[in-house]
Amino acid sequence: MSQVRVLGELAVLDDVGPARRGRAYPAAGATSALLLPAAVLLGGLVLWPVLRTMHASVTTDGRWVGAAHFRTALAAPGTGAVVGRTVLWALLVPAVVTALGYLLAAASRRSQEGGLVRLILLVPVALPLVVTGVTFRLMYDPDPSRGLATLVATRLTGRPVEDAPQLLGPGMVTVALMSAFVWAWVGLAVLVFRSALDAVPPSLADAVRAYGGTRRHVLWDAQWRPLLLRTTAVVFALVAVGTSRTFDLILVMTPGSVRDEASVLALRIWQTSGGTTTTGDGAALGVVWLVAVIGGIMVAALFVRQAWPPPRVEAAPEPAPLAPPRRVFRLLAAGAAIAWLVPLAVLVATSAHGRVDAAARGWWSAPPNGESYRDLVTGTELWRTLGFTLLLATAVTATVLVVALLAAYPLAWLTGPAAQATGLLLLAASVVPIQVIAGPVNEVLGLVLSSGTAQGLALVHIALGVPFAVLVLRNAFADLPVEQVRDARLGGRRWWHTLRRLARHNLSAVVAVSVLEFVQVWNDLVVGRLFGGPGSSPLGPFLAEQTRSFVSNSGALAASSVLASVLPVVLVVLSRRHLVAGLVSGGVR
Amino acid sequence: MRPAARVSRRTLLRAAAAGATALTAGCSGGTRSVQVAVVWSTSELDRFREVVAGYPAQVQVISAGNDIDAFLRARHLAGTSPDVAILPRPGLVTEYAQRGWLSPVRPSTDYAVRVELSDLLMTESERYGVWVKAAHKSLVWHLPSMLPAPPTTWDELLQRTRELAARARRDGGPVPLAIGAADGWVLTDWFENVLADMAPDSYYALAQQGADWQDKPVRDALDRLAGLWSIDGAFVGGGRRALLTQYEESVIQVVHARRAVMLLGADFTADVVRPFQRGPEAPVTFRFPGAQPGGGPLIVGGDAAVAFADAQGGVELVEWLARADSFQPWLRQGGYLSPNTNVSITSYTDGVGKQLATEMRAPGTLRFDLSDQLRGAFTGSDGVGIWRIMQGFFADVTDGVPASEAIRRATGLLAAAARSVGGGR
Repeated sequence: MSQVRVLGELAVLDDVGPARRGRAYPAAGATSALLLPAAVLLGGLVLWPVLRTMHASVTTDGRWVGAAHFRTALAAPGTGAVVGRTVLWALLVPAVVTALGYLLAAASRRSQEGGLVRLILLVPVALPLVVTGVTFRLMYDPDPSRGLATLVATRLTGRPVEDAPQLLGPGMVTVALMSAFVWAWVGLAVLVFRSALDAVPPSLADAVRAYGGTRRHVLWDAQWRPLLLRTTAVVFALVAVGTSRTFDLILVMTPGSVRDEASVLALRIWQTSGGTTTTGDGAALGVVWLVAVIGGIMVAALFVRQAWPPPRVEAAPEPAPLAPPRRVFRLLAAGAAIAWLVPLAVLVATSAHGRVDAAARGWWSAPPNGESYRDLVTGTELWRTLGFTLLLATAVTATVLVVALLAAYPLAWLTGPAAQATGLLLLAASVVPIQVIAGPVNEVLGLVLSSGTAQGLALVHIALGVPFAVLVLRNAFADLPVEQVRDARLGGRRWWHTLRRLARHNLSAVVAVSVLEFVQVWNDLVVGRLFGGPGSSPLGPFLAEQTRSFVSNSGALAASSVLASVLPVVLVVLSRRHLVAGLVSGGVR
Repeated sequence: MRPAARVSRRTLLRAAAAGATALTAGCSGGTRSVQVAVVWSTSELDRFREVVAGYPAQVQVISAGNDIDAFLRARHLAGTSPDVAILPRPGLVTEYAQRGWLSPVRPSTDYAVRVELSDLLMTESERYGVWVKAAHKSLVWHLPSMLPAPPTTWDELLQRTRELAARARRDGGPVPLAIGAADGWVLTDWFENVLADMAPDSYYALAQQGADWQDKPVRDALDRLAGLWSIDGAFVGGGRRALLTQYEESVIQVVHARRAVMLLGADFTADVVRPFQRGPEAPVTFRFPGAQPGGGPLIVGGDAAVAFADAQGGVELVEWLARADSFQPWLRQGGYLSPNTNVSITSYTDGVGKQLATEMRAPGTLRFDLSDQLRGAFTGSDGVGIWRIMQGFFADVTDGVPASEAIRRATGLLAAAARSVGGGR
């Protein structure tokens, strides 16, 4: 790697270099047994259900029917529109999020207020998507005396109040949903782009300038080609896969009458299969969706098959302070921060009104009070739900961490095609949408006598969380410098001593996995809705249930949304450095 | 069923899964009480707990939420069905009975409900459930000061709607009707009331397999609805806005904001009214008007209790719930309407309860909610089945589509939906 130093480290980025996963530490026979818990969970609750769904999509009562279910499902009225809308979501939304993410990351660098801007953008990332849905439904309320966005749109278009534009109406509902999704995801893109931009050494830009390069050349040769192309692909793919989560938003934001106009594959499968039964048509749609999601993530993974971003060779000397971005960009960043704050302000303001005020008037036309909060905290239901969710998320996170650490350890020593294959398999397993396999998963839970119970719910969460956790931890283990591994192996007498020492070196990855898993379970709606039961109803379904009478409950709903968001926001904000560092060490590879 | 083989396989799997499940504690042990799954939550759940407190044995009540069908199917797969369930749709009772999930029940002579209701819970001349709670769904709510003389016939309702709409257009007063068209069941309730009035004899036939949804009764009922719904300015904010209005918001529009005069609702609308009532004036009701004055159609909804096969003490609890005096605690609290005609009118504590209970017993056309009897997805939920089709029809007629064209579209969709669930689930 000596030639690298000439132009700066960046020159190696497009160079494969020595394989970092190529260390010759053969897996001891005993350590393979560590894979067992992860294998049982994934085999029973992911792999078998996927195969069962595929089987159901081509059979009726065990009889082979070929493509009949696919034909029926795709010929059902409206399916074309649903598929088209799903594709639109997977292309348009990632494009917008990526572009905005890059712009805001660039605009908020190296300036005093930039940190604050990024912090504001990060808050929506941590919110449960149900809360995001509640927030935007409050903004888009069709009554201009309650919905801020409707009021503004009415004024802007100069229409009479009786003829206010309906942002949740059939024509606009998809745009409204997309805006909520973009709001929630841009912060993540900014975070990733920012760490990518920081990894670009300024010397490279200097070099380009020295050769007479213009601003455009700097962007192209010193940023885009070495690093941003890949980062853009990663962000795009992440968001595209993330759009399969729109289900939560649709369930919360759309009144029943426009649900068809907003429907995507996730919702259609849910409606076709009635939740946890397996029907041929539902399975056929599920297989289509599964192939698309896994295909998409595979393409992205192969596209960025090299390490992203590169491991830091050594602590680079802090460069001389660079000029902050131009004023217009800084203004853009500040404007974005304000725009991103508005929905949060609407949620908090609505929560500061009692039931009648919140339902009958706008939050701006009545003095705030604590009535909704008082009703909530003096009742028992919210506390019970919060307590149960806390218990569930903690238990799931601890279990996932243990199972994933055990599995990541032997996997990290794999090399060559075996390592790549496990990587791809884990990646595929981590994006399987639960709606597709809900029926078979429920059958498995039935066999182990835990369907509709807290244990069953936890099992499903664990099985869904393990692949991603194993992936991140495996990559983190594999990326450890040789000396640290050698120390650990010499110092640790048994494999678990070694494992513990290695885990300590991988603190960022462990923290990232824990926080993400905890927040994932805390913020979940779908799994809870599918597999929860009486006495095991977590936060997501609890909030979503109240949206069945949205307006008359809006005060209490906003207040419980605020209370439900505190913990995930605090966790994500506090651990944001670890999150980036941990994921960078190999979330997507 | 091969119980022996099944048990051994389960035991094995249970052992295999024990490692994973042991990590998440929370198993409810202890002595076995009779377990009842219900759809109710919050205050209704509390009331029901007070009711079963009077049962001689220990009863554990669990709220399964709105989708009790999915819950019970999951529990059945897991082999952990409750002993008793209270189901919101008679279609589920017959469906479960045909699958052999339920025990037949034989309530005492103390249990007397109208034959239109009790027949719905019979399968192959065995009774598989008893009605424990009824809902009166043929009420029009309004504030007396805003509608001094309620209409008594459909034609009067039509006339009054036209007048109020014209006045609202002229000087911006309250519009005639509020309607929560975002919730599909509101529209099916409208349709059922009109259908039961115009064609009481073909009403139940529509719930059967192979029913003709393109036949005259359906078309006539839709035509009558179109006549009212298409009146310009009939609804708060117009048809498009009404489709984004949920049921509870429509109640607020009448009792709190006073932007509309009338609202088709049910007896349980009172629960929504209470927190939003403004001033001393309480809203009152009149009966949904039929073609003839006096006693229009009566659409009834309700919940039925069933006992699962192999349950411990399930049948006994169901038969106890069927008795006339079991629900006294809930009756005293109000907000409960009994389907049992042996419950004396005097045990209702409030005037409205007395009036509704009397209406339930009066001779005349009583029909059980039709959409609750439909099979599979046709029964409707958000964006699905008859709910969605009626919303499409509502959107059409309030948007100026000619009634004949809107009816043709709707009946075509209804017939297609009926066909697609014809073979059962």
